Amino acid sequence: MSKGLAIIGIAEVPTKRDPERTRWDILLDVCMGAVRDAGIDKNEINAVISPNPMAQPEMQNDMSLGKIPEVLGLKGCRDICITNAGGASNTNCLRLAQELIDSGQANFVLIPHTTVQSDIPPADLINFFATAPLDKQWEYPFGVTFNGSMGLITHRYMYETGATKEQMASITVALRAWAAMDPMSIFYGKPITLDDVLNSREISSPLRAKECNLLADGGGAMVVTSHEIAKKMGSGRHAYKLGHGTRFMSATPFVREDLFHRDSYRASSQDALKQAGMNIEDMDLRQIYGAYPYTQCSALEGYGSVKENEGAIAWAEGRCGPGGDLPCTTMGDATGRGHTGSGVSMAFYIDTVRQIRGEAGDRQIENCNNIIITTSGGSVMNTCTTVFGSEPR
Amino acid sequence: MSEYNKPLPVIQPHSKAFWDGTKAGKLLVQQCQDCMAYMSYPRQYCTECWSDNMGWKESSGKATVFSFTVTYEGVEPMFQDDLPIILAWVDLPEGIRMTTSFVDCDPADVEIGMEVEVVCKAVTDEVSIPYFTPVKKV
Repeated sequence: MSKGLAIIGIAEVPTKRDPERTRWDILLDVCMGAVRDAGIDKNEINAVISPNPMAQPEMQNDMSLGKIPEVLGLKGCRDICITNAGGASNTNCLRLAQELIDSGQANFVLIPHTTVQSDIPPADLINFFATAPLDKQWEYPFGVTFNGSMGLITHRYMYETGATKEQMASITVALRAWAAMDPMSIFYGKPITLDDVLNSREISSPLRAKECNLLADGGGAMVVTSHEIAKKMGSGRHAYKLGHGTRFMSATPFVREDLFHRDSYRASSQDALKQAGMNIEDMDLRQIYGAYPYTQCSALEGYGSVKENEGAIAWAEGRCGPGGDLPCTTMGDATGRGHTGSGVSMAFYIDTVRQIRGEAGDRQIENCNNIIITTSGGSVMNTCTTVFGSEPR
Repeated sequence: MSEYNKPLPVIQPHSKAFWDGTKAGKLLVQQCQDCMAYMSYPRQYCTECWSDNMGWKESSGKATVFSFTVTYEGVEPMFQDDLPIILAWVDLPEGIRMTTSFVDCDPADVEIGMEVEVVCKAVTDEVSIPYFTPVKKV
């Protein structure tokens, strides 16, 4: 039986705010693009597994109830499924795809995402992010927003670690520096300075406007197959999943003991690295999807790449941005890319494939063969950590 | 009082006693009567032993600030007039953390670790919300 999971096809549309570009426009572009990029026929796709398009109920129905294989005429499609874990939905798509592949039910699985948020009124989006991942009885009546919730964690992180606002701001500067070199980012060609961050409006202290996410539209798709089939299809273009670990913390931040997710990052990365037979030092790139700057610090601390409490120092010293010795998050995270709902993790996986192929342009990490990536869903309810490599093991 | 247009807590049968408490100006904490664990927000079943034998204890109403954030923008329209909102996580003596917001308080005066006390404010005939305020220095 042909086992393991490899990403062999990718496609993306540029992240922007453009209500004229519909959800289906994006979806069809990325589905056809990923199948062509994989070099297979559309009828070889055996299953379509989609991340839930958050806050878009009509598209959710279309994707849940089988429209994608029907519209695309995927005559070999045997199964469809949708997953919802907020930002970690794409991780669940990959895990379910691997189950279909490992059990011999599918050779090729298509994983497509689309999000349009520019046609949703801002107040509705604030409401969605304040109620879906947070508590309607114990948080929402006090005026909690998603930024407010992350402001509470960030403030405590800075209090316990001694990280300064300048050090924290340097994370956003570095993420935007990566994003400024990425044609898929809403901030392509738009780097910012430390002063730009520190002088931007305060939203929920200590978070300033530049440290919060711009909600945007976007989409991407992946085609995945087994290690064996990927290997037969050629070398140098495929990202092989080598190990995975996940830890769940809590739905609601205020009951969370592992508030900065360090233990979760540590345990999930150790699981993934152990399966891959590697150490954290073997990783050429760390891709951290936390959507708020403190996660870029606590993940490094959890991975063991830096000492506890010293994540922000590494960013401030320029180690994690372009040209640094500890490159992280070349995709720019949601802060640098534009937040496309459940699509941020899709963009992370696609960037991981680009880095392994050597197709990341100005952002390319030299000899990038092994990558560790962590995604999270909801209010950082979990950390889902995967190791990808350029070769199967 | 009927003009309150902000979201009300979605009260559940097992949390009704908490909200009856705030209506009477009291901060109640839920405690399992079998394993004596305190619940960090009221539950139908104990999260430690799954007992349904849940009871209530009146807390002192005092708490310590674990973290706070001052929100200046990015709220739904009904919260607009309340800005800036001082949101906080406060720790009760029972070892329970709760989310709240501060009233009668200047954002510049708030610090992590400071002592605060509950102020239950009636927002409708049915609901009083447990806000907190700094303990006045004598």
